[in-house]
Amino acid sequence: MVSKTEEAQLNRLENQVDNGGGGAWEYLCLVRKLKVRRSEKVLKYGMSILNDLSKRSSLGSEEWTLYEQVAVAAMDCQCLDVAKDLSKLLRKEFPESKRIGRLEAMLLEAKGSWEEAEKAYSSFLEDSPLDQVIHKRRVAMAKAQGNISGAIEWLNKYLEIFMADNDAWRELAEIYVSLQMYKQAAFCYEELILSQPTVPLYHLAYADILYTIGGLENIQTAKKYYASVINLTGGKNIRALFGISLCTSAIGLLAKGRNKEDKENPELQSLVATALEKDYKQRAPDKLSLLTTALRSLKVSS
Amino acid sequence: MGFSLGFLVGVFGVLVLSHAAYSTVQYRGLLKIMEEEFSGPPITVVAELLLGLVFSLWAALTVPGTFLSIHPHSEENMIVALPANLDFMVFNHRGKVFPVEMDLKLKH
Repeated sequence: MVSKTEEAQLNRLENQVDNGGGGAWEYLCLVRKLKVRRSEKVLKYGMSILNDLSKRSSLGSEEWTLYEQVAVAAMDCQCLDVAKDLSKLLRKEFPESKRIGRLEAMLLEAKGSWEEAEKAYSSFLEDSPLDQVIHKRRVAMAKAQGNISGAIEWLNKYLEIFMADNDAWRELAEIYVSLQMYKQAAFCYEELILSQPTVPLYHLAYADILYTIGGLENIQTAKKYYASVINLTGGKNIRALFGISLCTSAIGLLAKGRNKEDKENPELQSLVATALEKDYKQRAPDKLSLLTTALRSLKVSS
Repeated sequence: MGFSLGFLVGVFGVLVLSHAAYSTVQYRGLLKIMEEEFSGPPITVVAELLLGLVFSLWAALTVPGTFLSIHPHSEENMIVALPANLDFMVFNHRGKVFPVEMDLKLKH
């Protein structure tokens, strides 16, 4: 999870490193800690540390972590020669390690030799059938080959064993969304909300999916989840604010002609509009006119 | 040097508390000599106790560190991005078509 202060810190460090202000190692550590994907920069600055003997030796045993991080980044940037050199060095240092074996199998993946990579992963799984990362790599490999249904199948099998793996649930949800299977994706996000109820982004994604599915009941639920996002973020999530106003207008359209027993709270719409206007005035005053026309069109249609 | 104001106040508070204890013992000794019943500590000792309590409380709240926010929407707690799912990283992406023009070589 990347919090707002951590994001600010990352941006600051990135700026500093980009402008040659030093602090490359701190930046790489933060990238690793926050698990963000900045492969190009990791490769560039990681290599500059690794090629500098004095800097490299000052890291001590952390050096090998950096080798691994840079190797994965190199694969992501398709610099396969560099990745190969790095994994060879690691193999020389740790001849028995399974972790390096995994890295080599990933290198095979990056090269596109799927059969060999698959063979390597299967042999790892025979040794240790509960290695989560290798199970996940197989899913990723199926996805990389375009075999989405295979990936879903693997992922479902994986989730039957490791039900508490939130990342896997999120991956499954994203795959389902990409296939427009919203009901299934909604189920995944329900799991995520159950296990981590304080993460507003799961609520937001769930509300988005419900709104996309459509139908009066779903949109009403979506509105409630957008409201919970606002509650959790203190009203700082613009997407949730827009979601509320879209839901309100959609509910107005759908509920037209029906008996209005469950009358929606009319204050919510105007409150959301005020909040949005205030935020736009503060951060993008030149786009305020766009916002007011958009909000007006929503109000007209309701 | 090296000690913060809070720490010094804490030490002072503990000293005040121990002085209050010492005074009470002295007072009871005095009462025994005068052969009177002990009904309660003298007012100065009570004042000292209260003062020591306040000092120690203040030190205990400031020395270990600052308070962290528990609000879900505070800057430290608000989650603005989920980590990229690196375990499911796929290398077969559009970056493959545009390889990075970097002259990188491992020099060992």
